[in-house]
Amino acid sequence: MIAAVNQGANSLRPGRAQIAFSGVTLDLGGKAILENISLDVKPGEFLCIIGASGCGKTTALRLAAGLYQPTSGTVAFDGKPMLAPRRDIAIVFQDYGKALLPWRTAAGNVSLALEASGVAASQRAVRIDELLKKVGLPNHAEKYPAEMSGGMQQRLQIARCLAQEPKALLMDEPFGALDAMTRQGLQDEVLSLVRASDATVVFVTHDLEEAIYLGDRVIGLLPHPGRIGIELKIDLPRPRDQLTTRENPEFLALRRELFDFIKASEA
Amino acid sequence: MNRSVLYWRAASFAVAAGFVGSWQLIADQRLVSPVFLPGPDRAWASLVRGFTSGDLLDKLLGTLEHMAYGWFVASIAGIALGAMIGSSRRMRSYVAPSLEFLRPLPVSAVIPVAIAMFGLTQSMALFVIAFGAIWPMLLATIHGFAAVEPRLYEVARSLHMSRLAIIFKIALPSASPDILAGMRLSVTVALILSVVCEILAGLDGLGHWVLLSARAFRSADLFAGVILLGVIGYLTALAMSMVEKRLLKWRSSGH
Amino acid sequence: MIPERIKALLLPIAILAILEIWARAVHLQSDSLAPPSAIAAALVEAFQDGSMLIATRDTLISAFAGLSIGGAVGLACGIALGIFPIFDRLMEVTIEAIRPIPSIALLPIALIALGFGYRMEITIVAFACVWPILILTRAAVGGIEPRLIEVSRALRLSPADRVRKIIIPAALPRIFLAFRLAAGIALIVAVTVEIAINPIGLGAAIMTAQQALRPDLMLAYLFWIGLIGYLLNTGLMVAQRHLFGRAALVGDSA
Repeated sequence: MIAAVNQGANSLRPGRAQIAFSGVTLDLGGKAILENISLDVKPGEFLCIIGASGCGKTTALRLAAGLYQPTSGTVAFDGKPMLAPRRDIAIVFQDYGKALLPWRTAAGNVSLALEASGVAASQRAVRIDELLKKVGLPNHAEKYPAEMSGGMQQRLQIARCLAQEPKALLMDEPFGALDAMTRQGLQDEVLSLVRASDATVVFVTHDLEEAIYLGDRVIGLLPHPGRIGIELKIDLPRPRDQLTTRENPEFLALRRELFDFIKASEA
Repeated sequence: MNRSVLYWRAASFAVAAGFVGSWQLIADQRLVSPVFLPGPDRAWASLVRGFTSGDLLDKLLGTLEHMAYGWFVASIAGIALGAMIGSSRRMRSYVAPSLEFLRPLPVSAVIPVAIAMFGLTQSMALFVIAFGAIWPMLLATIHGFAAVEPRLYEVARSLHMSRLAIIFKIALPSASPDILAGMRLSVTVALILSVVCEILAGLDGLGHWVLLSARAFRSADLFAGVILLGVIGYLTALAMSMVEKRLLKWRSSGH
Repeated sequence: MIPERIKALLLPIAILAILEIWARAVHLQSDSLAPPSAIAAALVEAFQDGSMLIATRDTLISAFAGLSIGGAVGLACGIALGIFPIFDRLMEVTIEAIRPIPSIALLPIALIALGFGYRMEITIVAFACVWPILILTRAAVGGIEPRLIEVSRALRLSPADRVRKIIIPAALPRIFLAFRLAAGIALIVAVTVEIAINPIGLGAAIMTAQQALRPDLMLAYLFWIGLIGYLLNTGLMVAQRHLFGRAALVGDSA
């Protein structure tokens, strides 16, 4: 609900950024991790960040989540500086095994987010059912994470994030640890979930095709220290399709361009 | 339970019965003087007599009471202190080394200090039992709190959970396997220290009962008391492991 | 930043300093507390007149004799039960019935059967040491890579050689861990028996100091007993790490 209203407000002022990095630099332990990053993410946009390992793409995501504070420069959300994590920004971690509460069932894990947002106990059950159904786990409410496959655990983590009714969804290589088939299925599910919720998405991945397939825009980071090296607008038609989109000549051209960029950045 | 497990169990009971039988035989043949070794029949008779007259029941309840009070105080204090120390890195680096130094201290060595402070009283026993039983829980809780997956704290931060909610919904459940293991160890410690305190201070309980029986060379009563102490040890351990199994269901499932 | 080593020492130093200053300020007259300086003096005195050394010797003899006897019994039974699962299943009920008896409950029995002195104390310590060693040895032997047992069969080793050359070396790291835990238990039980009833060793000495209203001497003994416990544990831990590497220390946080 809130997301939809906000979406309207933003569309009155087109071009206004929801997430804005301006001149962001981050040093950790005397070492520059990110240098002078400036970046605007528009409401409802699906932005993918790629880069060689160690380029600071995960760090950039943590800055956007408010888990880190920049050494200099600012990170703003809806025009206000991010000084701490916010409940309307949800983050999906790559290591789902560590980010779920092993002592709570699937329903209990989703419930955690509802409890934190102060949803009354009487309304939680319905919402939990709804959310689990949305991510394709309607029959697994009473299972513990240890009883679920990797793909199911990641769906569960996404359900918990959706329970926050986020304006922005930050995803840190969410499918990096999953096998190829599960990964493609989840890509399509994320696309349809995001379209239904109007949330802004920042998606970090090291898989170039995944980035092009999902994103409205792809940003490539150069390593040591991390800085923006390439920015590509993806105008492939939506809804996207695992076969036709990936065979589209434009898709292949973009893939080539990103591939060359990564090659050059590693050299 | 499948069939062969049942058979094995029965065979195992038969072996135990065989041991009791040979104990009876040794006692009947007076291979060991009956002053030291009563037969199982006499020990059993003494148990029955003790329970019908209520004497032994009183002593049993006395020991259970000492154990329970001390263990309860130790649990509350141990978990609260452990949570406080374990959840702060700074506290850990100042306090934990001192605790590691105290850990191998034979706790019974504080008994004289407790006697000097409280005299031969119930408070002395409570202090000693609680002091002895607190260590396993304190150290386990500190370890459990220190070992919470950092990712879960990040989840908590992005959900804006309150400090209290983080402790009760993240840290305590995550540390619960360690805490429960500590509690299981402490029950045993509490039982041993209860017996020692009863022996030393003459407090009403099985410890005092077995000592008096030994002094009067009433070996049947003595064995009855020792058997009861074994039963307490067995049942408390069983109860703890059942609680553990139930509370930690999430851990055993799956893998 | 203060180095970790110094942080570790700050708390005990602060406590000692506060105790000392407070005791001097109020001219402490107590049966249970004494200023650290008086405790240190009592410790030196007890060393000089030899009483500390005699008491330490008595306690350590009982603890180690009990550990050796109980350890040997526990080791033998543990290996037997680990090698022959049939045996293990048959003895299950008997072991589960005897194990939970708190060792200290045997004190009166040992007292009437053996009287005061070393023998009674050693018996109780031995009983207490059997169980951890038996159970950990059984688990260690039961957990040996089955391939190794097959190798010993293929080589047609005699049963004695199989135990000596395959089973004990393979299970040794965990058996050592069992001995380390049992050594701690041996010291605790020995001191406890002495405090409860047996008039020898450190436990009896600390009780005597309490009854003589010498809190300084009592606390000196307490400190010394703690130090022995700490040194024993640390020494065995260093030995364990040295002999078997860091991996051997994994999984013994309890």
